Amino acid sequence: MSLLRKIRDTGRVAEPAPPRPEQEPPAAARELGGSVQVRHVDAGSCNGCEIEIGAAFGPVYDAERYGARLVASPRHADVAMVTGPVTRNMAEPLRRTVAAMAQPRLVLAVGDCAMNCGEFAGGYGVEGAVGDVVPVDVSVAGCPPEPDKIVAALRSVTGR
Amino acid sequence: MNTVGAALAAAVGFAAVAAAAGMWLPLRARVPVAGACTAALGAAGLAAGVAALGGRTWSADLPDLLPLAGVHLAVDALSGVFMAVAGAVVLAVGVYGIGYAGGHDLSSRGVQAVLPGFALTLILVPAAASVSTFLALWELMALTSLALVVAEHRQRSAVREAGLWYAVMTHMGLVLLLVGLAWFAAGAGGESFPALRAGAAAMSPTARNSVFVLAGLGFASKAGMVPLHAWLPRAHPEAPSHVSALMSAAMVNLGVYGIIRLGLDLLGGGPRWWWWLVLATGAVSAVYGILQAAVATDLKRLLAYSTSENLGLVLVGVGAAGMFNAAGDRPLAALALAAALLHTVNHAAFKALLFCAAGSVLHATGLRDLDKLGGLRARMPVTAGLFAVAALGAVALPPGNGFTSEWLLLQALMHGLAVPGVSTAIVLPVAVAAIALSAGLAAAVFVKALGVGFFARPRSTQAAGAHESPPTMLAGMGLLALACAALALAPGALAPGLVRAGAAAGLSDVRPVSGEGLQLRLTQVSGSLWPLWIAGALAVMMAAVSGLTRGLSRRRRRTQARLWDCGGGAPTPRMAYTATSFAEPLQRVFDDVLAPEQDVDVTPVRESAYLVERVRFHSRVPDRIEHRLYRPVLNGLSNLGIAARRLATGSVHAYLGYGFCTLVTLLVVLAVMQ
Repeated sequence: MSLLRKIRDTGRVAEPAPPRPEQEPPAAARELGGSVQVRHVDAGSCNGCEIEIGAAFGPVYDAERYGARLVASPRHADVAMVTGPVTRNMAEPLRRTVAAMAQPRLVLAVGDCAMNCGEFAGGYGVEGAVGDVVPVDVSVAGCPPEPDKIVAALRSVTGR
Repeated sequence: MNTVGAALAAAVGFAAVAAAAGMWLPLRARVPVAGACTAALGAAGLAAGVAALGGRTWSADLPDLLPLAGVHLAVDALSGVFMAVAGAVVLAVGVYGIGYAGGHDLSSRGVQAVLPGFALTLILVPAAASVSTFLALWELMALTSLALVVAEHRQRSAVREAGLWYAVMTHMGLVLLLVGLAWFAAGAGGESFPALRAGAAAMSPTARNSVFVLAGLGFASKAGMVPLHAWLPRAHPEAPSHVSALMSAAMVNLGVYGIIRLGLDLLGGGPRWWWWLVLATGAVSAVYGILQAAVATDLKRLLAYSTSENLGLVLVGVGAAGMFNAAGDRPLAALALAAALLHTVNHAAFKALLFCAAGSVLHATGLRDLDKLGGLRARMPVTAGLFAVAALGAVALPPGNGFTSEWLLLQALMHGLAVPGVSTAIVLPVAVAAIALSAGLAAAVFVKALGVGFFARPRSTQAAGAHESPPTMLAGMGLLALACAALALAPGALAPGLVRAGAAAGLSDVRPVSGEGLQLRLTQVSGSLWPLWIAGALAVMMAAVSGLTRGLSRRRRRTQARLWDCGGGAPTPRMAYTATSFAEPLQRVFDDVLAPEQDVDVTPVRESAYLVERVRFHSRVPDRIEHRLYRPVLNGLSNLGIAARRLATGSVHAYLGYGFCTLVTLLVVLAVMQ
């Protein structure tokens, strides 16, 4: 009963949905029909982006409204969501993760580090940005990016 | 002299030639000649057994062969079953042994000369027809097998310990038999089996009960029944594999033979509680044996415990037969006995093959530890296939050969509920549950043995370097596999022989089972089975499923992809299931019964107690009955020995004093008793 009461008392906390994205989703994503399974790979992140991703899939921003869903294996996924600069130890696992995903597949680079190594550029353990290791389709800037930016990037893939 | 006598004479002749060849031929000729003669001896024994099953009887008195008592032999259909089983196993093992014994200690004069003797006693024990002949052959069998068990004592010290256990336990069994049968002979007024049969009715119930319990304990220890099984999981793994096959498939059966011959035939049935005891022992052994097999990691030890389980199932059948007989339901008793005998035959076929295949693995890799094996299917495909055939028989699922006999056994027990009495109403459902539990666990055990031992990737360099066995070993195993297949597809052919064996055991002339063509039909109760149809239907279904999946997969485009390994390295053999990890859930379920021991030993570095240098994890499942029952006795005996050492002070005067005191005491006792 307390659960039901909690639901009644709390009400709806989700942000109102922004308008649909203007542009068409990328060619590879059109086949997915608006239902996108996302595998998140931490390639060496400071965990700032992870907190924002967690918020993006939480009740307030609720990315699942738009057809994106986090899954537990690249075998189930259409999109690899990669955070952080790619460290030496994670370069090969990242390549294998992307290779393990079925076609058509996309790579979403989240955060400044994923786009250009950000703060960690030139570090001795850093292999490079995500784009240096696997081809990137969509990028989200920010250190860390706000949840609504991440949601917007996901909506550009789902098209909803 | 009819067929049986001629075949037995031929067997004795072949045994003599084989022993002489083993003793005197040079090394290169010794093993093939002795092996061929042993195989011929087995074939002769098989012929004698089959002829006896066909209804021929034979008896002979050789008064000059043994001093005082002479030798009395008689063969009927009941002897025939055990003789044929022993003969068939000896035939296959003789061929197998030629390849197996090549090389090391096993080609020595001693082993090659003793093996035919052991094989001959296996065939002759069921033919004995007097107490003295039986005991002499029984002891000869124990001694020759003991010599063979310790054949490899130079290589491993465990062999010596196993030999000691076996020697002590088999001779304690002999003492029980000796006391029981001598009591019987004294009470019945004659030591030949006909005299015992005639005199048993006149004995007092106490004497008959004592005879059955004493001799039954001796026989049960030979059959590896809990709690007298302690020798079995030691002697079977440490003996050379072809000897293990002989012991496990032919020798332990003679314990069952003894119980049937003594209880049903010579003592003529007896009260219900005897058979209640036999059935309970069998059921407990079946469940306990298969549980221990489930957690065993040594392949041959696993097979040894499985022997304990299967002989337990046989004794459940024998016990049920005795109970029904005591209740006056002869047809049902004959059915239960037929099921027990059929299971004996089936068990011999698949267990001999399993031990030979385990020997083949041992020959190729030098390993018995399932945790270190693996990947043998690609390296020894024939052995793996033969092991799979035998494992299918052992799990008691169709189309394996063990299925038919366990089905018969369950039929007998379920129809037995019609027999009046409170004890049957309680005992029979419990026995059915025990059989079901042991059959289920047996499936897990043999999936483990086959899957962990032969599939996946090799977990040691020895297993990676395995090679297929020589053709003679494969030929011997092939014979056994043929026997398994024949027993699985057409068990009906054995039905007339089993009926005659039941009649020879004193269950009169009812025909509980008949084999009409390919059908096995129960004539007294409703029930029939078409093993060939089941096998055919299964084969058709498997072909259909595999054809369908292939046909469907061919339409789609195939791509080669790397296995998803979470981005890390490729899976290593260390990640594969081992025998220990496979059995862990079962071990957890039966935690209270098995009482596994686990020990974690953490060694910190010298500088700080918080930094760990080494962690050692140790886990083992000791045989709990052995632990609880034998350890206190052994400790007590050794304490007694230490205490007795105080008597031996080294002083001659004290020793003279002991002699004097003993003499005086004896004289006083005699004077008082006079």
